[in-house]
Amino acid sequence: MVGSFFRSFNRNKVMLLMVLPGAIWFLFFSYLPLVGTIAAFKQYRFSRHGFWYSLVHSKNVGWANFKFLFSTDAAWSITRNTLLYNIAFIVLGLVFSVALAILLSELANKKLAKLYQTGMFLPYFLSWVIVGYFAFSFLSMDRGLLNHTLEYFGMDRMQWYNDPKVWPYILVLVYLWKSIGYSSVVYLASILGIDRSLYEAAMIDGASKMQQVRNITLPMLKPIIIIMTLLAVGKIFYADFGLFYQVPRDSGTLYSVTNVIDTYVYRGLKTTGEIGMSTAAGLYQSVVGFVLVMVSNYVVRKVDKDSALF
Amino acid sequence: MSKMTKKTGLTAAAAVTALSLALSACGGNEAKSDGASSEKPVELIWYTIGTPQKDVDTVMAEVSKYTQEKINATIKMKMIDWGDYTQKMQVLVASGEPMDIMFTSAGGFDYVQNARKGAFLELDELLDKYGQGIKDTIDPGFLSGSKVDGHNYGIPANKELPQLEVWRFNQNLVDKYKLETTGVRTLDSLAPLLKTIKAQDPSITPFAMDKNYVPYVPYDYLVTNMPMAVKLDGTDLKVVDILETDEMKQALNTMHKYYQAGYVAPEAATTGSTQDLMTSGKWLLDRAQTQPLAETSWSASNGYPITSTPASDAVITNTSVQGSIMAISANSEHPEKAMEFLNLLNTDPVLRNMVDSGIEGTHYEKIDDKHMKNLDASQNYNMPSYSLGNNMLLYLNENDPDDKWEQFKKFNAEGKPSPILGFNFDSTKVSTEMTAIQNVKEQFWASLMTGTVDPATYLPKAIEQFKAAGLDKVIAEAQTQLDAWVAANKTK
Amino acid sequence: MPNVMKKKRNFHQASPGWNIVFNLIAGIFAFLCVFPFVFVVIISFTEEKTLATDGYRVIPKAWSLDAYQYIFKTGDTLLRSYGVTILVTVIGTVVSLLLISLYAYAVSRRSFAYRRFFSLFAIFTMLFSGGMIPTYIVVTQLLGLKDSIWALILPLALNAFYIMILRTFYITGIPDAIIESGKIDGAGEFRIFSTIVLPLSLPGLATIGLFSTLGYWNDWFNALLYIDDPNKVPLQAMLMRIESSMQFIQQNSANGSISLEVLQSMPQDTARMAMVVLATVPIIFAYPFFQRYFVQGLTVGGVKE
Repeated sequence: MVGSFFRSFNRNKVMLLMVLPGAIWFLFFSYLPLVGTIAAFKQYRFSRHGFWYSLVHSKNVGWANFKFLFSTDAAWSITRNTLLYNIAFIVLGLVFSVALAILLSELANKKLAKLYQTGMFLPYFLSWVIVGYFAFSFLSMDRGLLNHTLEYFGMDRMQWYNDPKVWPYILVLVYLWKSIGYSSVVYLASILGIDRSLYEAAMIDGASKMQQVRNITLPMLKPIIIIMTLLAVGKIFYADFGLFYQVPRDSGTLYSVTNVIDTYVYRGLKTTGEIGMSTAAGLYQSVVGFVLVMVSNYVVRKVDKDSALF
Repeated sequence: MSKMTKKTGLTAAAAVTALSLALSACGGNEAKSDGASSEKPVELIWYTIGTPQKDVDTVMAEVSKYTQEKINATIKMKMIDWGDYTQKMQVLVASGEPMDIMFTSAGGFDYVQNARKGAFLELDELLDKYGQGIKDTIDPGFLSGSKVDGHNYGIPANKELPQLEVWRFNQNLVDKYKLETTGVRTLDSLAPLLKTIKAQDPSITPFAMDKNYVPYVPYDYLVTNMPMAVKLDGTDLKVVDILETDEMKQALNTMHKYYQAGYVAPEAATTGSTQDLMTSGKWLLDRAQTQPLAETSWSASNGYPITSTPASDAVITNTSVQGSIMAISANSEHPEKAMEFLNLLNTDPVLRNMVDSGIEGTHYEKIDDKHMKNLDASQNYNMPSYSLGNNMLLYLNENDPDDKWEQFKKFNAEGKPSPILGFNFDSTKVSTEMTAIQNVKEQFWASLMTGTVDPATYLPKAIEQFKAAGLDKVIAEAQTQLDAWVAANKTK
Repeated sequence: MPNVMKKKRNFHQASPGWNIVFNLIAGIFAFLCVFPFVFVVIISFTEEKTLATDGYRVIPKAWSLDAYQYIFKTGDTLLRSYGVTILVTVIGTVVSLLLISLYAYAVSRRSFAYRRFFSLFAIFTMLFSGGMIPTYIVVTQLLGLKDSIWALILPLALNAFYIMILRTFYITGIPDAIIESGKIDGAGEFRIFSTIVLPLSLPGLATIGLFSTLGYWNDWFNALLYIDDPNKVPLQAMLMRIESSMQFIQQNSANGSISLEVLQSMPQDTARMAMVVLATVPIIFAYPFFQRYFVQGLTVGGVKE
């Protein structure tokens, strides 16, 4: 037993050496801090002996810190919002960034393509606060571009920040606008990695552009698409705080469609600031994500072993 | 194969545990032995709020010379920017970062909350021993009002004590349209003014407000802007849901009337600040908290005359008392020295002015024995006065009247204490309900208070949702605590 | 050789008609992305007073350089912040590319017996995090990195997300046969990695390099936690401090003394926009730089060079 371990260790020595720096990093920056998760089950109180001492000596409260995530109807609606938005983001984000990547790879003028791509990166640099300003300059009731346009066509002004119906669309649009320029790069790089001889052969066989995309590009992109989706599934209970807080300007009348787990936790803990409760919320998000990733990875593994995460 | 992975997993887990043990050993630094070093000065680490200034270290070196002479301590000041303060202090305090003195208030690194969580040292004994100067100088209302569960955890800055709401007027417009502001006090009494200005100049926003606006009602809130409140003149000290009081119902109806008449900006409920209106001068009136000489500074900072008339009585509340407090950290290694320093800072004009304005001749110069003038270098040491201790020791600015601080003292003396001054609600037992209530509050508050939505339909909805979130339970818990507090404190 | 490749590539582009449609779609989307930024630039050159009365305008009534003058008054602070940001970004990108590519390569190799374990070891960290305070303690008390630029570099150096992306690039882009042929030639694993694998995976490396460059450039949170020394504050952290301080004022607007004192020390709207411009313009050039490596992976039938 011990012998076989050493033999296997020896065989994998070089590879182990390669993962070593990374593994040490993970140990320090990810695994060690995990001990702090105990706080989720504690009513954390400071003491003069530092964090770990305080943590161990704070009162145990069992699952009480998790209760606020499930206690009211509102708590359930935020879970629903978080899930639905993230599913929309994953699906639409995938479709649009893959489409954009294919489109960019097909452009004849490479200089122009580079220019477009550089431009598409810009939204990534604007913080949500500033994106919020812009959304406001479109949606403002009396100064906004959209209402000016509506008036121009003889229609009534809209109170955008009081109308929950339109916000799911606005939020999805803003999300896509900000993210697909960035996420399409991965797909673009993969497309460029595809063996060109495959396309040449297809051309000789007389395959049309659409056929080439369907039969060569997409199948070749499949592994990266699966990986990106699996990784996104793990984050499905996390919401982008800035998108849901800054862009709707924290407007109360929109909460039915804009309140998500992260904003709910933020608002709820503003007055009490319990470390235990925020840790509990994070743990809840992690565990759900973990279970989902395990399940979907299991499914992927059954179908296509090579594309699985692990 | 799979056995192997399991084993590696176990070893990794063991390694994590071992390392975390090592960590906790690191975390709990034992206090250094302090004996036999009576001549060696003690360094006090002082965390305070505000945009970090270039010359902090230079000024603190000068301050340290002075304090070393007086109390054998030197000062190391660390400034944390406004928006980062609460979050960063939470991390610093939780992780046991060495510190002695820190700024806390109702609005930044919450005083009551963190006192209860054990962030601050209880000061009762230290105050008796080293803080006699503070007790003699500071308005006693501050020390009694800032007690948490019967103990002092910090030294409030001596400044304006009561909270007085006023209506502010853009005097240019008042003059231009010959408006009469003398009879104004209640919310309803504004109607004729608002109506006139709306008719005369539609480009003006008659009633300027942002999303934090709440109509004034004579109640004191147990937690700022949460619906649990106690009536100010009440003798029965009953905790009620503010939304169910007649005063609030009536105020909300008036607000909605104003909103529909176009007196309020259409997006007031989501507007973070009225700074644009202030800069452009396109507003008639708004509500604000005042203090002596406030009109002068408002006018000066906006560049046109602003006047005000009272909208409420001057009331001393927990929030007004806890506007700026300096606390000693629970992990301070030199609590006595820290207290000595706080005592000196709040009683010694030389030290207090040095901390506030920097080095004489470099950052400021004296004009006469009461007044001073900022020099160019003061932009490298531009400190917020309110957060640094006793304001009434400060030299006056060039244009301040001689009796500035006398005016403050008079103002403070006129304030009436709220019946629940000194009572701080402990929400630990109902923290689950508090998170839900906070979310309901955020959902309905701004749109109701600014009049954006019709209270006839939204108020019942809000009340119902608050109940569903557990407000009744919270009110019951608060009532129990309040009764106990009354029994302990109000046995006259 | 590159010329030949280029010509070949061109010959399978879309037909001229589709090309116009594609250009149109990409062009419009790119415009929508660029426009708000152009707007930021315009606002930064607008006069503050006009902004208060008219709001944001594409063509403002009055232009002004005040915002930039305000910022350049603090000249050396700004330059130093640029310096910190660039230093952190460059070192950080190199360090993280090294760590990530090694790790990703190892877990991509079928011959590595523990690849599942180490994949999971990485992915697990994506899903669970211990939170701010424990991490703070590790970085400051255990590693002693408070106020060190390594506190800005190390916490972002590794990321399971990037590892998994790069691993996929290795699996799909580098046929086993090439590595086997390298082994037959007698090369060691490290040699194969550096002379065969790295050059073949340039597009993948460029993608990760780009992401990590942008990540370092945009990071402000680590500076908030670990940096007290004003000389070591990166650009984005400066910007975020101002933004969060503005919000603090708004939340505390009822407190007279705070709002009066703070507002005086706060830059105006236009100055904040000017900072956004100054913080973004240099990094825009990062993309074309990395794009150069988005070349064809030369994998055709295992032929090298």
